[in-house]
Amino acid sequence: MRRTSQIVRHIATRFGKDPYFGLVLVIPLLIWVFGTLIYPLVEAAILSIKNVGYAGTSGRYVGLANYVNLFKSPTFLRSLWVSAIWTVLNVALQLGAALIAAVILNQDFWGKNFIRTWIIVPWVLPSIVLATLGKWVLDPSLGVVNYLLKQVGLTNTPVSFLSVRRLALPSVTILNVWRWFPFFAVTLLAALQTIPRELYEAADIDRATPFQKFIHIELPGIMPVLKVQALMCFLWAANIFDTIWLLTRGGPAYATTTLPILVYLKAFQEFRISQAAAMSVVMFVVLLVGSLVYFWRSLEIEWEE
Amino acid sequence: MKKGRLKSALKYGFVILLSSVVFLPLYWIFINSFKTTPELTSPTPTLFPRTFTLEHYTNLFTRVNFLRYFFNSTYVAVISTFITIMLGSLAAYSIYRCRYRGRKLLFTLFLSIYVFPRVLLLIPLFVTFSKLEIVDTLLALIILNVTTTAPFSVWTLRAFFTSIPIDLEDAALVDGANRIQVLFKIFFPIAAPGIAALALNSFLLCWTEYLFASAFIMSNELKTIPVGMSLFLDQYFIDWGMLMSSSVIVALPPIILFAFVGRYYVKGLIAGAVKG
Repeated sequence: MRRTSQIVRHIATRFGKDPYFGLVLVIPLLIWVFGTLIYPLVEAAILSIKNVGYAGTSGRYVGLANYVNLFKSPTFLRSLWVSAIWTVLNVALQLGAALIAAVILNQDFWGKNFIRTWIIVPWVLPSIVLATLGKWVLDPSLGVVNYLLKQVGLTNTPVSFLSVRRLALPSVTILNVWRWFPFFAVTLLAALQTIPRELYEAADIDRATPFQKFIHIELPGIMPVLKVQALMCFLWAANIFDTIWLLTRGGPAYATTTLPILVYLKAFQEFRISQAAAMSVVMFVVLLVGSLVYFWRSLEIEWEE
Repeated sequence: MKKGRLKSALKYGFVILLSSVVFLPLYWIFINSFKTTPELTSPTPTLFPRTFTLEHYTNLFTRVNFLRYFFNSTYVAVISTFITIMLGSLAAYSIYRCRYRGRKLLFTLFLSIYVFPRVLLLIPLFVTFSKLEIVDTLLALIILNVTTTAPFSVWTLRAFFTSIPIDLEDAALVDGANRIQVLFKIFFPIAAPGIAALALNSFLLCWTEYLFASAFIMSNELKTIPVGMSLFLDQYFIDWGMLMSSSVIVALPPIILFAFVGRYYVKGLIAGAVKG
């Protein structure tokens, strides 16, 4: 009896102390992460060296055949290329637009607190709203874009933006930029506001133009934040599925089939689970390079407290 | 003097341009949802409806089972958010407030999930969930959502948790409170804005989630709003009125929540981004 109570007391005091208390708090999340992230990662790697078709059937091991076939497949190689263009375009346009918006928002104007907070609204809305908006404004017969083009006299025949090969990817990109740039604008604005006022005052004495101030004060001031944002933007853009899928289904003729779209098509429409798994593993490895850079950088700054 | 006025005009010009780019499309969806179908589908767009109608809203409840979609979305988002708060705030407290070896490694692990390709999870989890026979259930969506939101919460809470002075907890410990009391009676109440921001963030992610909901749910009565709406978009003759009214309804919960805790939310984003 006495021994039991001693153990209980021992545990109680032990639990109060740091390592154990801390571990007890973190273990639920850790278990969750292992079950739903680490285990699936291993499972995906195993699936990718088998020849499973439908989900739930068990295939046999085929070694690296899926990977070899991937790099022979024109569909996959084209999709890599589309992904690269999509990602580069998105990063450049999102951050470019965000930078301009942040500089505008950083001015002193009536209603600035309201606009600085609510500018982020496109980002909190579901992608289905963006898809509705996109299909609506770009519609060949009802869309306002075609209406305006006609009014200006640029074209008389309606343009079907989402089903013309050369126009589909740029159109989806612009819509996606509209949804994401406010997010980066808000964070870049915050970075701009950390720039000390004395720097601007010094620049005023030197009679610097607004453009010179931007190049010599603001841009260097927000560069560390901008770099981290660029990496986040790269990873997020590379992972986007829903906006593209809802607008074009990867079409026309694979013109907007980025890697996430191709993985989905392979797995859920062609029922080639193993091939899709191999693709997603390749995608993971490609993104991991970016992630490593990102984490290496962010940790450097993050952990100095 | 004249130069100053020109500058000011230029400034407001840019502000109005930016606001139009962001807000005009949203205004337009809102106003379109009240237009009659002929006006909505006429080739000449109008910025204000000539006649108001609520038919697109009533259609949502009479022609399709929108109420069911709404219930499913709410159910999944609320439960996922609740689990996220439980798992995330405890883990975040552990990482920022307790001292043990390897917490930097844990921090890196949770942060790295932020950029995990979601399609990579799609396939193995579909296979696993098939074996567990939970494909085509809302439980599957809850598990998938928490997987994306919970690790992220450690990062979301960082700015809030690290800004709370540790002296308060120390004082309570000296007064004889145990660590669990300190955690629930002192720390979490002070950290409430951070937890509110986390709740908003995870609710938004779950509410807007499309990929998992479209892949893991087959039954019509289990679909969430984004997936249900995508069915409207797939019709050969698209019912634009219904798409507009459902867009307004699906946008309302995020906007209302944002109105209440948006301030903290943006503050958290900013603190995370600028300090990081």
